[in-house]
Amino acid sequence: MGDKLSLRRVFGLLALYARMDLDWLLRDAKLSLLDAANGLIACLSSLSGVFLLAWRFGGVGGLSPWQILFMLGFTATVAGLCMVFFGSNNVAHISRRIGRGQLDHMLLQPLPLWLQLIAEGFLPFSGCPRLLVGLGLVLWSLRGLELSPGWFWWLSLAGYLACAVLCLVGLSYLWSALAFRWPVAFEEISSVVIDEICGPLSQYPLSILPPALLWPLVSILPAGLLAWFPSCILLGRPPLGLPELYPLFFTLGLWALAIFTFRKGLLYYVHYGSNRYTQGGHRN
Amino acid sequence: MRSLLYTAKMACTGKLSDGVLPILADSAIKIIALVPLVFLWRALAAQGADLGGLRLAQLLSYSCLAIMLERLLNVRTFASDWNYDGQLGDLFHQPLPVFWQIIARTAGTWLPELALFSLPMALLLPLLGVDMLPKTLWFFPSLLLTISLGFAVDCLFVCVSIRIQHASYIVHSLRFSLIALLSGALIPFNLLPFSLGKVLEWLPFGSMAAAPLSLFVGAGNTASLLAAQLLWNALLWPLAALCFAKSRERMVSYGG
Repeated sequence: MGDKLSLRRVFGLLALYARMDLDWLLRDAKLSLLDAANGLIACLSSLSGVFLLAWRFGGVGGLSPWQILFMLGFTATVAGLCMVFFGSNNVAHISRRIGRGQLDHMLLQPLPLWLQLIAEGFLPFSGCPRLLVGLGLVLWSLRGLELSPGWFWWLSLAGYLACAVLCLVGLSYLWSALAFRWPVAFEEISSVVIDEICGPLSQYPLSILPPALLWPLVSILPAGLLAWFPSCILLGRPPLGLPELYPLFFTLGLWALAIFTFRKGLLYYVHYGSNRYTQGGHRN
Repeated sequence: MRSLLYTAKMACTGKLSDGVLPILADSAIKIIALVPLVFLWRALAAQGADLGGLRLAQLLSYSCLAIMLERLLNVRTFASDWNYDGQLGDLFHQPLPVFWQIIARTAGTWLPELALFSLPMALLLPLLGVDMLPKTLWFFPSLLLTISLGFAVDCLFVCVSIRIQHASYIVHSLRFSLIALLSGALIPFNLLPFSLGKVLEWLPFGSMAAAPLSLFVGAGNTASLLAAQLLWNALLWPLAALCFAKSRERMVSYGG
């Protein structure tokens, strides 16, 4: 722990990673443009399926096309914020680093692990296309909905976005604890949870599902809390009779559980180490 | 031919080297992805929407088959990964044409999933009321044309990733974003607004998933769908072969 920890130090590290991100972006114009185009196309393409259906059929699952667009904008903003704050160095996909035995590199640094995780994921420039698309869709949908919300609504939006991002990352860390014990089998569990299950599910208006499937999606596998549930609240249609602060309470509980299991896993890792590398240095 | 069969067998065995659990986990993820689609079609049918001439039963068969045959409808060989990590260079040391090896290895990796996921699904789904019998036998040649076209398209994307060097993730991501929507694997073209489907079915991506799936459920014009598939195969295969021949000289891999 060489350096004194302070807020100034945290912002200094964030500025350092922002600078590195900008350097990467400016290094090769062709690659940067390609990366930005990829971010935009991937985002629009993943969202357009549900939106086109909603547009064609005048809404679906009790939501109008503009309300669906708001929900899709919300989910894109969540994905964008996740990319901007936790996108680099597999910070969101932490099971990859655990599974590959790369946590050793972090434990050698003269900074606490949590501070490294906060700073290393920061991608303010190359990570922002999805965020910009998301915010654009939210603003466009508000225009379509003819809403002019007050400051409290915007504050609520920011709060629900923060909860959704932290919920997604917390879920990743909760499951990633398994990679400490079984590094090969669970190396990709973060991408399974974030990219293959929760991400795609969060794009649907989940009110189409029967209650028996809907409740697990706001509790055990909280894909519903990433866009559908907060969007319904923000649009004045709170679903399932749950309180408006439910996403906040859920996220706090999830993080408490994630920290507990992650620490347990880390203790196991510190004790036994990683079995991924041969004596020759190759990963098996 | 025998060498190719052995290559496919090796790939199949390799896929099973970690046991069947990874395949079952992958299957569970696919089923999770299918659930909201099934309820989406049900919701649209319940609100009395015009489903573009399709019935609910056809939509359910369409989506289920799209999930079951996902790897065949959107062929992804290991060539782009192998280029990234250096294994593509190893293929040049083998006494078989590189592209045939890629095809044999890829086809070999399909077999465990087809046996452990697609076949059980095909047997189980009719018990749940989903019709899993093709409405026309033209589905089978169409599926073969789709696979063939998929290899050609994959080869072209591999050439792009060779060309732009060390950005294979971008190519991979871009490709999957485009194909997910434009191939009709997720949403049948009949359901798209603004007559988008009419345009998309004439694009090469539209000949990949939408053509066999439409024939399977008895929607779409057989002659025009097959004609488009034949046309794109005839155009893209020579282009893929030419691009690959030019790109192989540019191949750079660090390995690791």
